[in-house]
Amino acid sequence: MGATGTSTADRTLNILAGIARTEEVRRNLDLDLFKFHLLDSLGMVQLMVALSEEFGIEVSPSEIGREDWATPRKIIAYMESRAGV
Amino acid sequence: MVPYASFLYFGVLLYVVATTPVMQLFRRTWRVWLLVATLAMLVVQYWTAEKPWPNISVQTIWLVLGYAVFEWAVAMAFSLVRKRGKHRLVFYSAVALGLAPLVVVKFLPLFSQVDLIGFLGISYLTFRALDVIFCVQDKLITSLSVPQYFAFLLFFPTISSGPVDRYRRFTSDWNHNRTWKEFRTDLDGALHRVFMGFLYKFILAMLIKQYWLDPWAGSSQAWGIISYMYAYSFYLFFDFAGYSNFAVGVSYLLGIHPPDNFRMPFIARSIRDFWDRWHISLSYWFRDHVYMRFVFTALKGRWFKSTHVAGYLGFVLSMGLMGVWHGTQVHFVAYGLYHAGLLIGNDWLSRWNTQHHIWGQGRPWKLAQIFLTFNLVCFGFLIFSGRLF
Repeated sequence: MGATGTSTADRTLNILAGIARTEEVRRNLDLDLFKFHLLDSLGMVQLMVALSEEFGIEVSPSEIGREDWATPRKIIAYMESRAGV
Repeated sequence: MVPYASFLYFGVLLYVVATTPVMQLFRRTWRVWLLVATLAMLVVQYWTAEKPWPNISVQTIWLVLGYAVFEWAVAMAFSLVRKRGKHRLVFYSAVALGLAPLVVVKFLPLFSQVDLIGFLGISYLTFRALDVIFCVQDKLITSLSVPQYFAFLLFFPTISSGPVDRYRRFTSDWNHNRTWKEFRTDLDGALHRVFMGFLYKFILAMLIKQYWLDPWAGSSQAWGIISYMYAYSFYLFFDFAGYSNFAVGVSYLLGIHPPDNFRMPFIARSIRDFWDRWHISLSYWFRDHVYMRFVFTALKGRWFKSTHVAGYLGFVLSMGLMGVWHGTQVHFVAYGLYHAGLLIGNDWLSRWNTQHHIWGQGRPWKLAQIFLTFNLVCFGFLIFSGRLF
């Protein structure tokens, strides 16, 4: 459980929905974010910065490839593994 | 000897290629074989005398090996310091040192008579060396094995013009003992690419050069320059994609799988799409190591009010550097900035269109996009050719 009482998945999806500008990311966790142009390099960097600040962890651009963050589910899994929830 | 340019080179290469099945038999020691083959091919390629100063003559091979040792020392020292903590200044110094030989080679001729202290492939090796430094900074590489580092840096099939491989991708191949089944798959992929290479480089590119490019090379009329522009674009593609096919194909035989460099670039639907299809390994290197790193730092440090400004400056920085990397001449710099401008325009227009919906989705629109992108790209190659200025 995070500090605000919501789960890592919810906090991740809130940020992702804001950057991808669609609520679809909540409904379909296996949505291919790059294929449907919901994320590009700029969006991905925005997401890295926002998530690293939200969870207080350090991420670096070369660490995460597009395949690692291809879907909402994968991003949540990554954040859960990093945030230790 | 310039790789893949003469039949003599292919003849020499056969000695290495012919021993791959033998190496497969002793696959636990294949890494030793790869190092020996690398050294042998480097000697073949770089056994030419250079005269960096009027009275001094040196074999190019020593420059190559000296360069490699220097880059290794920089990476090694940096990784030792990095273990103790993260210092921005140390990181920048390591990048500057890794970049220094290339900068000297590129800029020294502008200021002095000293020439030719570089060697064919130094710009591509610099990408490999810097990739290691970036990954050390991000703690993606924590230990540098000496044979692995030199095998990566000096891997000969891709040494002269890429594709630009990455250390972490290379090492996954290096640490793998391939099975006979994988060997057959690699052989299949290699043969396909090598024959595509012959078709592209020695048939199509040569025909275009002889019957289309060269006849228009001297024309100063507008029509002549336009014809030259298309001829040059197709020549560049078939020549370079052909070369890349050879480089990737030969690498496959040796059990290394560098990324493919081209994916039908002339049917790209936007400039952004084009850079996912043209010289892919180079554009991804700039995307990951320059664009994303710059934008990440800018956003984190709240440098700009708008995210898009950060993105646009990222385009100018990465494409500008891409231009200078080709050479310090004005037309190369202009080429980089031209593409930065196109990427910014493309981004701006597509965002404008999501609000106004002028540009549609149907087939005629797609064809129009391809046509427009193709012509913008060809004009870029005309700048690149140095024909205009």
